[in-house]
Amino acid sequence: MSTQLTTEQLLHAYRVMRTIRVFEERLHVEFATGEIPGFVHLYAGEEASAAGVMAHLRDDDCIASNHRGHGHCIAKGVDVYGMMAEIYGKKTGVCQGKGGSMHIADFEKGMLGANGIVGAGAPLVVGAALAARLKGTDSVAVVFFGDGGSNEGAVFEAMNMASVWNLPCLFIAENNGYAEATASNWSVACDHIADRAAGFGMPGVTVDGFDFFAVHEAAGAAVERARAGEGPSLIEVKLTRYYGHFEGDAQTYRAPDEVKYFREHNDCLMQFRDSTTRTAMVDASQLDQIDSEVDLLIENAVRKAKSDPKPSAADLLTDVYVSYP
Amino acid sequence: MSRLPLTVGIIANPASGRDVRRLTANAGLFSSTDKVSVIQRLLAAFGATGVERVLMPTDMTGIAAAVRKNSHGRQARGSHWPTLEFLDITLRQSVADTRQAARWMAERGVSLIAVLGGDGTHKAVAAEVGDIPLLTLSTGTNNAFPELREATSAGLAGGLFASGRIPPEIALRRNKRLLVQVPSRGLCEVALVDVAVSSLPFIGARAISRGVDLAEVFVTFAEPQSIGISALCGLWFPVSRQAPGGAWMRLDPQSPEALLVPLAPGLLQGCGVLAAGSLEPGVAHRLCLASGTLALDGEREIEFNARDLPTVTLDAGGPLSIDVHTALAYAARQRLLAIGREHPQHPLNLEPQDTLENKNVDTADH
Repeated sequence: MSTQLTTEQLLHAYRVMRTIRVFEERLHVEFATGEIPGFVHLYAGEEASAAGVMAHLRDDDCIASNHRGHGHCIAKGVDVYGMMAEIYGKKTGVCQGKGGSMHIADFEKGMLGANGIVGAGAPLVVGAALAARLKGTDSVAVVFFGDGGSNEGAVFEAMNMASVWNLPCLFIAENNGYAEATASNWSVACDHIADRAAGFGMPGVTVDGFDFFAVHEAAGAAVERARAGEGPSLIEVKLTRYYGHFEGDAQTYRAPDEVKYFREHNDCLMQFRDSTTRTAMVDASQLDQIDSEVDLLIENAVRKAKSDPKPSAADLLTDVYVSYP
Repeated sequence: MSRLPLTVGIIANPASGRDVRRLTANAGLFSSTDKVSVIQRLLAAFGATGVERVLMPTDMTGIAAAVRKNSHGRQARGSHWPTLEFLDITLRQSVADTRQAARWMAERGVSLIAVLGGDGTHKAVAAEVGDIPLLTLSTGTNNAFPELREATSAGLAGGLFASGRIPPEIALRRNKRLLVQVPSRGLCEVALVDVAVSSLPFIGARAISRGVDLAEVFVTFAEPQSIGISALCGLWFPVSRQAPGGAWMRLDPQSPEALLVPLAPGLLQGCGVLAAGSLEPGVAHRLCLASGTLALDGEREIEFNARDLPTVTLDAGGPLSIDVHTALAYAARQRLLAIGREHPQHPLNLEPQDTLENKNVDTADH
């Protein structure tokens, strides 16, 4: 609930969102130089969703992400330098440079992994939630998928099983309006993804994904439900992405002023700054200070990642199979 | 010169009926599919009462698309739906879409706008359309302004008014409104039912789900059977839609007097009551809190601080709406739905196999 947010929590939320924004905008620039291997899918514009949900989670709560996973990783507490090095394919990366953007994982932080397969995170968190139940903890498991992922059978099966077993799961549908280049109103039959929850016997709500506080409040209620043993929920977070599906996407399927409109009217960082400084809880200078610290953090991460060594041929088969004693 | 076709508008808020109260209370879902059905019931009623053309906005949730698809079906032909025309607005997926659609309909001179949504949707339409009457239908969560009604009969009342068969002095009702002014920010917003002053610092998920978050409430009317913020006044200091004044209540969790209030479906909250009284039109009221949020018609919309000094004023010049009950009572007295021998649905014009005498009616053994 928003009444319970302290100044410290507000500043942390801002730092998370700002870190994601600067991380992604820097990648947008760096990717164009050709130095980064593989694909990147940027989360800029969607920061309030990751920050709003993750504000309620602990390290023992698991999340599973998707191809657009950098924001989820940062908000879940994965090391920013380790992520940058991973995206650059360097041995110092969180997965030793062998995963790249779409396979960043950090189990210690409860980050089960970004995922290149659309919708594939949902069954994973049902497993994580079942594990929490069997271990008798009050941990929860959260999956993030998009409007495209919402059409996947695996997501339906996961929602069904989570509901049948009353598991502590959150299904977060980040609806940015496009599955790659296909508009969701062309491809999602019921259009409101939240409506699908009814078919699985769980509550479904839609929230404004440009507003940290809206996401925070809804996710808080859903996490509370899950921890109390009241079962899964679906939250549809409506937002937009500032960049293409992947870097290099010309986005001819979007209206020419669409991104400009959202950047100018709905930007989550701008709204957060306006709201928090209007209260006496946060001073603009504190936010400016975070801006400078984040800029430095990202600059250092990129500089170090670029000069780090790549994995060697000898690393090829390590960390691939589990070794049993 | 050819006569302009008799035109009405339909605006359905695609977002209504799925906010956080599905998690914090026991609110139900009003799906897009349900909204499509409501619109189609309206179209059948409008078709039956002489409306020739209906304007609808496009949307991102498939409502307009489904209605368009179904307009080619047998039901649509059988009930003589009006011609449909879709307004191709630039969709922002926010209240801006509702406002844009309402503006365009007003410019096109519609006789009536049917609104599907909650109090907030009706307020957004009312702000743009002046004295074009609203046919109000509730598809939201906690609604007081639109009454819960079956769309078919509401549509008959609207269609009979739009086609001039029920005079405005019978069919229409003038509503009150609350003006919320924040001079420091040049804001003048409108609420149709209630304005709640909350100590919550942020707009957040908009709904107010706890009694302790309320400090003050202003209402245009408050019925004892309502749900939401206005139920607070409705159960303590009720005031009717027709009364010239409104009401206010001051709340404090520390107050010894308290009231149990249905703030949302299935959510009963205790609210400490300090005082209550009548609200006179035209008098600007300062708020009891220096900072917090203002919820207009149940949704937090304005964050304010000590510099803003917002005021709330009751105003008699709210929107016109169709009084379905009175309009249909008049329709009954005047037999406005009586049909002549030439009407295709006159029983004597039906195919023989559809009439009673050819049915195999079993009347034995009772």
